[in-house]
Amino acid sequence: MTQEMLLRQIIDYANRADPYPLYTELRKKPVRQEGDELFVVSTYWEIKSLLHDPRISSDARNLSPGAAGTLLQEEEDSPLPPAFLRLDPPEHDRLRRMAMRPFGPPETPRRVYNMRGELARIVDDLIDGFGDRKEVDIVDDFSYPFPVTVICRLLGIPREDEARFHSWADIIAAGLDPDPGGDPGEQRRATHEARTELGMYLSGLIDERSGAPGDDMLSALVTQQGPDGQMSRMEVLSTAALLLIAGHETTVNLITNGTLTLLRNPDVLERLRNDSRLAVPLVEELLRFEPPVQLLPQRTTLADIDIAGTTIPEGASVWLVLAAGNRDPQRFPDPDRFDPDRPDIQHLGFGSGIHNCFGAPLARLEAQLALTALAHRLDGPRLLDDPPPYRQNAVLRGPRHLNIAFDGLRS
Amino acid sequence: MRLVVDLNRCQGYAQCAFLAPDVFAMHGEESLLYNPHAEEAQREQVLRAATACPVQAILVEDTDEAPATMGEGLSGVR
Repeated sequence: MTQEMLLRQIIDYANRADPYPLYTELRKKPVRQEGDELFVVSTYWEIKSLLHDPRISSDARNLSPGAAGTLLQEEEDSPLPPAFLRLDPPEHDRLRRMAMRPFGPPETPRRVYNMRGELARIVDDLIDGFGDRKEVDIVDDFSYPFPVTVICRLLGIPREDEARFHSWADIIAAGLDPDPGGDPGEQRRATHEARTELGMYLSGLIDERSGAPGDDMLSALVTQQGPDGQMSRMEVLSTAALLLIAGHETTVNLITNGTLTLLRNPDVLERLRNDSRLAVPLVEELLRFEPPVQLLPQRTTLADIDIAGTTIPEGASVWLVLAAGNRDPQRFPDPDRFDPDRPDIQHLGFGSGIHNCFGAPLARLEAQLALTALAHRLDGPRLLDDPPPYRQNAVLRGPRHLNIAFDGLRS
Repeated sequence: MRLVVDLNRCQGYAQCAFLAPDVFAMHGEESLLYNPHAEEAQREQVLRAATACPVQAILVEDTDEAPATMGEGLSGVR
């Protein structure tokens, strides 16, 4: 199998349900060159070292002309400036620090912690909403509405506007797919339009909040005065859009992948039902075993980098395949086994280094609560389709539907 | 309960300060303060924090035999 074919196969939708054998192939050469300007990294230590290497950039403006515009064009002519996800220090650090002020420590250590009760209520309400049904779609009825409701409340999006948000977020996330299917021109146009509409909507909301700030994060981003000064209006816009999209697409997949994995491992499900403390290591193992972000396709080199016998030239596009690193047998024994009792679980599911997942504490809590509640409340749950139908996206990978049957609900 | 954070390992990911804010606190962006004799009632949160630590720097005593002692203050500035 040629190298070129391997990357194509990973992107190919036909392999979405189980890309892991392809990752095993990929790891045979830790750093693979694909064409002139693209390098794919698939082994744990190589990925980890590049995630901590200041010569790796997340800023698309550092791509060489040949590497830019190959496979990922979603942000070309974006109406919003890049958020901290796509910036390097010092700009990245300043904006991330300012976004963190209203979200977490040191300034706001209890925001997420104090949401526990509300999160548990939302989960219970959604499960109550299954009503008398004996079959549900876990995605549409549970794992999509849960984190999406949470991110909207956190940001302070009025409930009546949540539905509009969902459709914009869906379109923008589809634009992050290296091979979205359909007409790429049409895809880009739709993404651009969704970003513009989202920007205009948020802009109106920012006007409102700057006059009458609430307890939400958007108000805090607009009004904060700290050592880093104030965010510009455009910075607030792109930060809010980033949090919103990230909050939409990733936790949905984490919870759905978790439900799927539990139903495939009924012994673990039974243990979780009897001891909710298992949820904590279980979610970490899930982040290793089925990470919601399979690969980071948006890094580039600021200098020639020698790694694993290959020189990645300056300006090349670098793909870090987190999901392959997470199954690297050189790092994790018996990596294809789902084992929540692993004593050593430093997975790459949230990345690592300066761009480590901003929302990780919230995602952890959401997944722990959601999976525990499902384990407790569903009587005799079972999968109706295995494998389930997947979303197109190879990067933000997860089932589009997860139809399950059960005998009833426990209170 | 007793716990120790290996502050040579700690890289300031702050997951513990999110998950167990009564035991761990960030001082600025990178320095961690924590209570090495946390109350027994904090055990669940402390275990969440220890499990989530990306560099596995938090060591927690296994047994819960010792009654919680408070008032020994925070330690661990680096």
